[in-house]
Amino acid sequence: MVAYTFQWHVVPESAGALAHGLKLTLQLSAISFALSLVLGLVVALCRLAPSRPLRALAYTYTQIFRALSLYVYVLFIYFGISAVFGINLGTFAAGVVALTLLNSAYMAEIYRAAIQSVDHGQREAALALGLGHTRTFSSVTFPQAGRVAVPGLVNQLVDIVKDSSIVAVIGLLDLMGTTIQLVSTERAPFELYTATAVAYIVLILAISAAAALLERRLARHLRGGGSGPSPLEWMQRYRFGGRVPT
Amino acid sequence: MSEAAANQAAELDLGEEIVVAEGIHKSFNRGHKEREIHVLRGVDLQVAKGEVLVVIGPSGSGKSTLLRCLNFIAPPDAGSVTFLGHCLTGEVPRRRPAERMRYERALRFYRTHIGMVFQHFNLFPHMTAADNVALGPTRALGLTRREAKERSLEELERVGMGEKAGQYPSQLSGGQKQRVAIARALAMRPQLMLFDEATSALDPELIGGILEEMKRLAESGMTMIVVTHEMGFAREVGDRVLFMDEGVVVEEGGAREVIESPQHERTQAFLSAILS
Ligand SMILES: Nc1ncnc2c1ncn2[C@@H]1O[C@H](COP(=O)(O)OP(=O)(O)OP(=O)(O)O)[C@@H](O)[C@H]1O
Ligand SMILES: [Mg+2]
Repeated sequence: MVAYTFQWHVVPESAGALAHGLKLTLQLSAISFALSLVLGLVVALCRLAPSRPLRALAYTYTQIFRALSLYVYVLFIYFGISAVFGINLGTFAAGVVALTLLNSAYMAEIYRAAIQSVDHGQREAALALGLGHTRTFSSVTFPQAGRVAVPGLVNQLVDIVKDSSIVAVIGLLDLMGTTIQLVSTERAPFELYTATAVAYIVLILAISAAAALLERRLARHLRGGGSGPSPLEWMQRYRFGGRVPT
Repeated sequence: MSEAAANQAAELDLGEEIVVAEGIHKSFNRGHKEREIHVLRGVDLQVAKGEVLVVIGPSGSGKSTLLRCLNFIAPPDAGSVTFLGHCLTGEVPRRRPAERMRYERALRFYRTHIGMVFQHFNLFPHMTAADNVALGPTRALGLTRREAKERSLEELERVGMGEKAGQYPSQLSGGQKQRVAIARALAMRPQLMLFDEATSALDPELIGGILEEMKRLAESGMTMIVVTHEMGFAREVGDRVLFMDEGVVVEEGGAREVIESPQHERTQAFLSAILS
C-alpha cells in the first residue's frame, strides 16, 4: 500500500453537493423508469398486434435499442443528434431519452413474455363473457401479466439507477458526475467514491425491499394467504441489477 | 334480420331452434402447408329451446372446436351460425366501418347470451369468486357494481358457493371452481349453455356433484350443448346425442337410441371402448 492519508472529513463537507447529485440521479431514474414503463408496454402490444408491419416495426425497435450500450446512446444522442439537427437537448433530457429508449426495449420483451405466459383460456373465458378485446386485456390479461412482469421490471429499475451514472460522461452532475467533480478538486478519491458507492447500494437495496413488498401483496391470492418471499428469496430474485433473461 | 326483430323472436319464445349451425368448417394454421389441420369438415347442428344436446366423440374429433365456433371464440372458416334469429358467418366485414360495427354488435349479442363452461374452469385467478361472477355483468352487460354484486351472490348461492364468495380460485377445490364457473356463466342470464367436458378435470368423487348441478339446470329448462364422456349423464339428461369423429357428424339421434343401439360402426367402437 502506498502512503495515503485518509481524509474522511471531506465526505461530510461534500454532503450538500452529493445530496444534490443524488437528487438528480433519483429524478433521472424515476422519469426514465416511468417513461419506459409506458413506452415498453406500447412496444410490447405492437409486437403482439395482428398487423404485420406493426410487429416488424416493434421487433426492429427492440433489436436496435438493445444492441448497443447506454454509453454509446448517451454520446450519440447528446453530441450526434444535436450536431445534425441543431437542437440542444441538455444533459438531463439527453440522459432521459437514452435511458428510456434502451430500457423500454428491454421492458417490451419482459412485458411480451409476461403477456404470453397468461393461459390462453383466460382470454377465451373473458371473450366468451362478451368482453371486447380491450376490456379482456385490461381486466383479465394485463393484471395477470403485470404480476409476472414485476420482478423483471424491478430489475430494469435497478439497472436504470446504476446505468444512470453513465450520463455523467456528458457532464450531468448526478451523483456520479458530482463525485467525479469533487474528486478532482478535493483529492480524496477513496473516501468520495466509497461514500457514493454506499449511497448507490443503499438506494438499490431500498428498491429491492419495496419490490419484494409489492410482489408479496400482488401474489397474495395465489398462495391462499401465505407470507410471501423471505428476505433471502428476494435478495436472490433481485440479483441487484442482473438483466432478466427473456 | 334486424336486432329488434331478433329480440322479438327471442321474446316470443317460438319453441323453435335456438341455435342452428350449418356447414361449419374450421382449420387451424391455415396457410402453413405442413401444419394445417382441417378440424371441422362441414358440421350441421340445431338445438331447440329447452333441449339438451350431448356431443360425444374421440379426442381430437373437434368437439371443443365446434363449441368455440358457436360463440365465435374460434370463428368458423365457412358456414354460418344462426342464434336467436341472428345469422353470422366467420367472415368479418373489414371494409365498411358501419358493417363492421354491426358485426361486432352481433358478436357481443352471441357471447353475452351464450354461456360457456370449460374443462379447466378458466376462472380469473386474480379475482375473488364474487368478482369472477360479476365481471361479465359489469363489463359486458353494463350493470352497476352494486347490481352485479347482488346478482353474483345470488348465482353463487344457487350453486352452493355463497360462503366462498370472497375466496380466490386458488383457495377452492376443483369442484368448487367449476361451480363458480357455472355461476359466472349463468350470471349473464344466457339463452344457451355450452359445457366443454366440464367434469373431465375433476377428481372422481367431485364429478357427481357437478353433473347434478347440470341436471338441475337442464330441468329448469335451460337449452344446453354438452360435450362429455359421462354416458350415464348423456343417457339420463340428454335429449339427443351427436357423435363426431374426424370433424364430421357420424351419427345423430335420440340419446337413448344412440347410446344403447348405435347404428354406425365407428359409434359402436367408440361406445364399447368408453363403456368397457
Ligand atoms: N388453437 C389451435 N391451434 C391449432 N390446433 C388446434 C387448436 N385447437 C385445436 N386444435 C387441434 O384441433 C383438433 C381438434 O381439437 P378439439 O380440441 O376440438 O378436439 P376435441 O374433440 O375437443 O378433443 P378432446 O376430447 O381431447 O378435448 C386437435 O387435433 C387439436 O390439436
Ligand atoms: Mg375438447
